Amino acid sequence: MSESLLEITDLGISFSHPRPAVRSVSVTVEEGEVVALVGESGSGKSMTARAVIGLLPDGAIATGSVRLRGREVLGLPEAELNQVRGRQVAMVFQEPQTALNPVRTVGWQIGEALRAHGGVRGKAAKDRAVELLREVEIPDPEERLGFYPHQLSGGQKQRVVLALALANEPELLLADEPTTALDVTVQAEILALLRRIRDRTGTSILIITHNMGVVAHLADRVVVLRQGEVVEEAGTRELFAAPRHSYTRQLLDAVPRLPTPEERVHAVTVDDAPAVATDAVAALEYDDVRVHYGSRMRGRVLPAVDGVTLRLERGQVLGLVGESGSGKTTLGRLAAGLVPLAGGTVRVGGEDLVRARGRRRADLRRGLAFVHQDPEASLDPRFSIAEAIREPLDVHGIGSRKGREARVTELLDAVRLPQSFLQRRPRELSGGQRQRVALARALTLDPRLLIADEPTSALDVSVQAEVLELFADLQQRLGFACVFISHDLAVVNKVADHVAVLRSGKVVELGPAARVFGAPSHDYTRQLLAAVPVPDPTVPNLVTSATGPALREQHIAS
Amino acid sequence: MGAYLLRRLPSALVVLAIASFGIFAMVRMVPGDPVSTLAGPDASPEARAAIRADLGLDQPLVTQYVTWLGQLFRGDFGTSYRIGGSVKDLVADGAVNTIVLTVTALLLAMAVALVCSVLAVVLDNRWVNATLSFGNTLAIALPTFVTGLVLILLFAVVFPVLPAGGTPPDGFLARPDLSVQYLLLPAVCLALGAGAALTRFLTESLRTELRQPYVTTARALGISRRRIVLTQALRNALPSAVTVLGIQFGTLLGGAVLVEAIFTWPGLGGLIEEAISGRDYPLVQVLLLLSVGVFVVIQLVTDVIHAWLDPRIRIGAQA
Amino acid sequence: MSESLIDIAAPEATSPDDQFDQRRRPGIWTALRRGKGLAGLVLIGVVVALGLLAPVLAPHSATEQIPGANLVGPSGAHWFGTDEVNRDIFSRTLYGIRTDLIVVFLAVPIGAAIGIFVGLISSWWTFTDVVAQRVFDLVLAFPTLILAIALTAFVGPGLRTVFFVIVAVELPVFGRLTRTSVRSVREMPYVEAAHVVGAGSLWQLRRHVLPNSMEPLLVQLAVSMSVAVFIEGAMSFLGLGVRPPQPSLGSLIRDGVRNLYDAPFFAVGPLVIVVALVLSLLLVSQALAEARRA
Repeated sequence: MSESLLEITDLGISFSHPRPAVRSVSVTVEEGEVVALVGESGSGKSMTARAVIGLLPDGAIATGSVRLRGREVLGLPEAELNQVRGRQVAMVFQEPQTALNPVRTVGWQIGEALRAHGGVRGKAAKDRAVELLREVEIPDPEERLGFYPHQLSGGQKQRVVLALALANEPELLLADEPTTALDVTVQAEILALLRRIRDRTGTSILIITHNMGVVAHLADRVVVLRQGEVVEEAGTRELFAAPRHSYTRQLLDAVPRLPTPEERVHAVTVDDAPAVATDAVAALEYDDVRVHYGSRMRGRVLPAVDGVTLRLERGQVLGLVGESGSGKTTLGRLAAGLVPLAGGTVRVGGEDLVRARGRRRADLRRGLAFVHQDPEASLDPRFSIAEAIREPLDVHGIGSRKGREARVTELLDAVRLPQSFLQRRPRELSGGQRQRVALARALTLDPRLLIADEPTSALDVSVQAEVLELFADLQQRLGFACVFISHDLAVVNKVADHVAVLRSGKVVELGPAARVFGAPSHDYTRQLLAAVPVPDPTVPNLVTSATGPALREQHIAS
Repeated sequence: MGAYLLRRLPSALVVLAIASFGIFAMVRMVPGDPVSTLAGPDASPEARAAIRADLGLDQPLVTQYVTWLGQLFRGDFGTSYRIGGSVKDLVADGAVNTIVLTVTALLLAMAVALVCSVLAVVLDNRWVNATLSFGNTLAIALPTFVTGLVLILLFAVVFPVLPAGGTPPDGFLARPDLSVQYLLLPAVCLALGAGAALTRFLTESLRTELRQPYVTTARALGISRRRIVLTQALRNALPSAVTVLGIQFGTLLGGAVLVEAIFTWPGLGGLIEEAISGRDYPLVQVLLLLSVGVFVVIQLVTDVIHAWLDPRIRIGAQA
Repeated sequence: MSESLIDIAAPEATSPDDQFDQRRRPGIWTALRRGKGLAGLVLIGVVVALGLLAPVLAPHSATEQIPGANLVGPSGAHWFGTDEVNRDIFSRTLYGIRTDLIVVFLAVPIGAAIGIFVGLISSWWTFTDVVAQRVFDLVLAFPTLILAIALTAFVGPGLRTVFFVIVAVELPVFGRLTRTSVRSVREMPYVEAAHVVGAGSLWQLRRHVLPNSMEPLLVQLAVSMSVAVFIEGAMSFLGLGVRPPQPSLGSLIRDGVRNLYDAPFFAVGPLVIVVALVLSLLLVSQALAEARRA
């Protein structure tokens, strides 16, 4: 038989760092095959893909071999690489928001991709551009040619990036986390599109992802990477059915899951009534709450939250789910007093947060805590870990110096971090560790209400699993009420007692988590659930079943 | 675009209005009396009073201000106390020379910045970068009066190939070759600092652009680095470069005062020095107001060009 | 949760989650201990030492007139030569440095401090912010030298005027920069976090915003100091600076230009010192700026 389309043998990539980014990776991709490179951050999956297209960062040293149809790509001079890029191998990136040139039109950028390989010009180029946009299922392609990237929605941008990659009919498409930055329903559409492109054109795809659900429904074969080495390689069905390596098993176990079909049958019987009597004082109440964005002076006022009424009982966890622009984050920030209220009332422990003044306000604040989604930025880079955790005590002047230190020690234990971390700076911690510190800091004042805004979305699955478990444990022990905001339905399913599904600033469905996820009553909830790629290749879902173009693109483009 | 301009206009007018009153009031508070300058030390009190009334200086400050504004709007800029003659003519004569000098310097600076920064980024060669960076630091570090002196010493004293100062005797249009000779030294001297600052800024922003994800996208499509710099990175770096250019133009105007003094170039710089030392109120006011006016207009123009160059501002999101 | 997973995330093991920079980020200060920064610092040190030690190093006083030495070229007795009224230019240059040191190390920091204070306070509320920005705009609307000329008309020429001009020019520069940094830092989640737990504006400003806004301000300080040498030179050059017979680097250059054709050596010494001072400050600012970007 002829040689493979792509053959990576014993690839190693190192920087001046002591630890190499890629130790030894060997992967082959055959014609028309979809291979997934799976791993957590630091596994070297992205570096491997970049080596294939010759786009390693400056200072990277690559060893081993990368062959495309038998031709060695590593060490090829730039001019020859430019012949390979785009024509033989093309790449789609994670962040569609920045992957396109903001000051050039879509048509110009496609034209430039065609010109790079001396292809068609003029009228023929325009026709080809329209054809490409049609291929990636963008409506009104002729008109869209004149659009700038900022006039397109995230999903449409990713389609344009895909069109650019397909412009010169490459044999191999590298897709680096192509759907990670997208909403779940858009993700489903893009995945379905990738699959159709493979079926239509026979283009091989090497998809790099951390998402087991994406793997399950797109890949023919899976290669699991860990710290720059291949730990397991298998056909998708075999891998999910019987993972051989313990790391693969851990990875699969760590993935939060939604109710299975059998569980869903039982869910119908779950009672929607709140577990606690409603006459008790709620931890948090939203009463017909409204928030606006944009300034009235410029004549554009958009509702971010549009008449939401919700109630969170003491000691319970309320999950807020929805796609971008649903208003879930705004609702959380509202409860923390970070967003001005345009209408309605927010009551924390029965008291109006906005109207409280002076001492009452300070007391209310002491009972509140907020965990931000970005572990990079949620700790002051100049503060040591001890200072960061102690800050709330310092602010309120609580306790003696010794007492404060004892409290910090206790909290660090509670989030299962060693005492040696006390004098470290945030920069010396990993994302997961930083998020634990943020959690410790939030618990410093024994809050009655914790608002957690996507606290695990920047973390790897296994780290996410630990943080979620830690969170659930602390919540049980300390009994604080919590608003848990996430775009990830499975994560919310794992931690929340009740769930509110939000869309365009309104609550579309509310109920106990098991009922909402098991037996959704609203169409939108059903759509959301159907779009989540289930980490099980035997379960058919939207990715494999969807055949039509742009299911709900019109909704996303807001 | 027109709407954008309209939105920016009111704040520009407010700045102008406040500035004009500030200038007017400040000039009145300057110690030293134009009356004694005009009348001489031995004039009688009656003669002083007559001159005072003649100049309108016996009126309240606000009245004087309103009168002055009214005159300005009618195109009457007043008469110079000391030098004599209409302020309009004096300013117009000086302005031509200053504008020729600063605009030449600006074009020179722009050309140098564009060529140097693109070369640095496209070649991306250690030695080219080191050389450009060294020259750049030197050009920024050398004060204008230093480079001016060195230029005169070199090209007018040691090797007398160019005139040491002044403007061409028959105006700029009569003998273009002569005009170039006269312009060369002062324009280079003036352009050096601004050119170096612009080069530094443009090089840095081009480098930043080249780190943007869209450049990676383009490279993954097989588009050459040089082509990306010329057709994409430069286009993205342009809007903010225009803003910096506007700021540099202000710096050039200030620098022109000095360069004009070094090269005995008869422009507005000398005029303003003379006007202030002679307490020539009408002239001082108009000159200061002019400098604020130029600043406001340049800000407005750069803002509009910036907005026009950036489709994200030009066309709002439609989706 | 399996025990092994917790092990993976334990800080001592190389977990999949440790894609972070183990090395402490070197503070921008370390930039002053090598390369450009060190060169700049050493050069500044030399110039400062020359100025401070002027009474020891100078063979003559700044105003002493030496009989028979009129516009003499450089020699063993007069390293930089003598001027048209028989004064030793080397001695005058050393004393002239002192004038510039006052401007660089006193006027600039004062202007910067006031600017930072005004910028910090005003940027916290929308109204004061708008007012302060308008005022800054207005002052910055005047090219520096025109402002200098106008101010000289008001208070007369002299070192005091140079001082005023530099404070007036640097105040809005720092005010604006402070405002920009504050605006970006206060949006940071860690400032929000402090706000949520009940920290007041003052606490947020003092503990988080100001310390994290310092770096761009430091870079600007070095830049402004080099600009101050510029301004002193230009003002003295135009006759707006120190009054004779007091020397400053700018006034010495002005005197040098007057005698350009008779004594071309005159201006060389002061020119070299001015360039050294500006260059050294610029090198420091560039080193700091590069360390910040890294």
